[in-house]
Amino acid sequence: MSLQHSYHPVTLQHRDLMAVQNPARYTGGEWGAIIKSEVLSELIATGRTDTVRFAFCFPDIYEIGMSNLALRILYHVLNSSPDVWCERAFSPWKDMDAILREKKIPLFALESGSPLCEFDIVGFTLQYELCYTNVLQMLELGGIPLRSADRTETDPIVVAGGPVVYNSEPVAPFFDLIMIGEGEEMILELTDLAKKKKLSAKTDHPMTREEFLLQAASIPGVYVPSFYDVSYRADGTVQSVLPNRAGIPSVIQKRIILDLDAVSYPTETIVTNTRIVHDRAYLELFRGCIRGCRFCQAGFLYRPVREKSAETLLEQGIALEQSTGCDELGMLSLSTSDFTDLSPLTDGLIEAFDGHHTSLSLPSLRVDSFSLDLMEKVSSTRKSGLTFAPEAGTQRLRDVINKGISEEDILSSLDLAFQGGWSSVKLYFMLGLPSETEEDVIGISDLVRKIEQLYFDVARRLGTRLRKLEITVSTSMYIPKPFTPFQWEPQDSLEAFQRKQSLLREKLRSRNIKYIWHDLDTSCWEVVMSRGDRRLADVLEKGYRKGYIFDSWDDCFSYSGWVSLLEEAGLSMDFYSRRREEDEIFPWDHIDCGVKKEFLLREKKRAEQGIVTPPCRESCSACGADCFGGGVCYERERS
Amino acid sequence: MNAKDREREMTTQQHQTQYICRIRFARKGSLSYIGHLDLMRTFERAIRRTELPLLHTQGYNPRPVLVFALPLGVGISTESDYVDIAFSVPVPPEQVIREMNRFLPPDLWTVDGVVVPEGTGSVMAAVTSASYRFEAPQILPYVKRALEADSLLVTKISKGETREVDIRPLILMDLTADDAKGEDAVCLLFRAGSRENLRPDLFLSAVTRHFAYDEDAAANCRVTRTGLFTGVFPNYTDLKEI
Repeated sequence: MSLQHSYHPVTLQHRDLMAVQNPARYTGGEWGAIIKSEVLSELIATGRTDTVRFAFCFPDIYEIGMSNLALRILYHVLNSSPDVWCERAFSPWKDMDAILREKKIPLFALESGSPLCEFDIVGFTLQYELCYTNVLQMLELGGIPLRSADRTETDPIVVAGGPVVYNSEPVAPFFDLIMIGEGEEMILELTDLAKKKKLSAKTDHPMTREEFLLQAASIPGVYVPSFYDVSYRADGTVQSVLPNRAGIPSVIQKRIILDLDAVSYPTETIVTNTRIVHDRAYLELFRGCIRGCRFCQAGFLYRPVREKSAETLLEQGIALEQSTGCDELGMLSLSTSDFTDLSPLTDGLIEAFDGHHTSLSLPSLRVDSFSLDLMEKVSSTRKSGLTFAPEAGTQRLRDVINKGISEEDILSSLDLAFQGGWSSVKLYFMLGLPSETEEDVIGISDLVRKIEQLYFDVARRLGTRLRKLEITVSTSMYIPKPFTPFQWEPQDSLEAFQRKQSLLREKLRSRNIKYIWHDLDTSCWEVVMSRGDRRLADVLEKGYRKGYIFDSWDDCFSYSGWVSLLEEAGLSMDFYSRRREEDEIFPWDHIDCGVKKEFLLREKKRAEQGIVTPPCRESCSACGADCFGGGVCYERERS
Repeated sequence: MNAKDREREMTTQQHQTQYICRIRFARKGSLSYIGHLDLMRTFERAIRRTELPLLHTQGYNPRPVLVFALPLGVGISTESDYVDIAFSVPVPPEQVIREMNRFLPPDLWTVDGVVVPEGTGSVMAAVTSASYRFEAPQILPYVKRALEADSLLVTKISKGETREVDIRPLILMDLTADDAKGEDAVCLLFRAGSRENLRPDLFLSAVTRHFAYDEDAAANCRVTRTGLFTGVFPNYTDLKEI
């Protein structure tokens, strides 16, 4: 690959930087950014290096990409290897995109300034489906052919990972290979192979792309889309996905890290010079979730639950606060309250940060007396809002989605919170959940009204005048996702959503209540992309050619544009949002996330009967995630 | 006592002795492209990475006590800017400089520092003028002509209103002779501070508008703040000499 390449760093002109929003997006130079100076000197002197050059690409703007933990973890893991230099690249915003195109400046990585085409591996993290056209933007601006089939021996190997790659079919033709699951080990196995390829270029038998991909396909978790043929039935559904070469696995199982205490975690990380979306240092408490909410894709994809020990976290938290200088440390997980040693951990951190004016942020905390007390202790700032996610308005529907929270739970915790002086509450609901009726929608407003009433009851009981009550109600459209018990379910129509929204708007009219809703158009497109097949790649490329980028930004998104492109291709929104047969072969069936399709189908049937399924720690429901041989599935045995 | 009263109580009564260091700093390259708030935050975090005994404001939302002499616009480098940093115990300025330079990002560094005696006025209030170097091809003759003019009108937009403002009185002196870089650079002293302040980009717009200096060259002009001064012109003193 890069034997012929020399080093052509991009330097943007002052006037170009001054012509765009937030020019620091394009300048790098942050504290903690890694410049491997010996590699850089080699590049400057000779135009080449034996070190594997990895461009970690985030297909959205810098402020969003730098807020992503996967980027920080893998940047650290890759750069810890003496054989790799990993750099970062982000999607240029439209203003810079125009400048790069007009002046024919290639998209470059921030550390060395090298155009993306000069790297050995260009790796994308795909965090949400609506970033797909930005992948194409980055590839094209980076000087790399969009499709795997069009790349030659001198082009970089283009790879992807992240949560949405469990169904990467709509973008499969754009990637040479895709990494399924947690990347810490897999990515180094890949760069080892890239190192071999690079060194072989100096010999009489240089490794070809095809040979590289064949060898990469034997790395567990690696999916090479071009090695699989997809055939379709007359009705447009998938008939089969079969390997087209010998020795290629017919099913790709995700990779996970079993021992999170042993895996490398960045305790030194980049501190940006400008404000980013999540501007704090992060501790990752655990992966996976014991809850099994049936609508939640992450809850199934990341099984089984694996925790870090409180000792490891305490050590990492203290190191992070010291090395970054951040005054806020965030705890990340799918459900903070389920962390076994939350109390010793937070006590330890509070003690360690005494006098530092560092606060802890604890998202997704269940509200009870313990957590209210904790919130009071950890936050140096004033009482912020409390967040609840009942997700549905009635107990019937909450049972259907297996959301283990009752109206009583919500009201009794709010009673405590209101007594404790909290007066701002955020409530999250979803519209369009399977089996939802008008009664369920009205149930949302009934619950909100009960909360409103409770506030004044508490005030009367205490005989105090309280602060102004602020209830924020937020609804989003439910998107039935792959690898959930609802993957067979249809998505509500745009009209149905609009009807439900206006019903709620009517019912929630009050000076204490603010109702906000998520954009409908983008959610409709998201279901197409998340449950889509390979035929959508052409649609995506056409949309990109029409200038559709930054689809996740409401004001950039063209719903009607995408619908007509879909129709031109002989496809339809209805096809992707429809109800699916129980025996239908899905475009993602050759990917195995541990949780088995039979279990998901069992869960679908329990949902239909309104039967709840207990969390993993209460009793095992045999989802299949025990196949990895660790985590919560084996906790009982160990103790 | 409710939270608000407690906060007030703490800020007014719990007086802590402040030990203030006035630190001269410089920035270039990537660090020139961040705004004033981001620069403050970058400093704050860097000091927190050191083990220096940074003083925080009292109350419910404690912040480090950092006072910058004059905000720097996005895109402007500096050779000589000032920040007052308050510590809870006396710290020798040399130690502050040494520690900070270990922990600041590559294109931002401290140069030197002094202890500010208690009772000294704010560094922000002291600033009355600032010098800037403008580097762009053939800019010198255009600027010379601009300086010969009696008035230099520019369009200023503030609070949605467009006004014509004469910036000529805000240009105090031509320092180019002290900072010789040929035809491609000039150095000027502008009024600066909270009362009257001339922004370098406004000056450049006047030079392109009235003297037909190439707009593209002006857009690419590198601006560096070379010094901050106090006192009433012409009796002004470089802050670094105080």
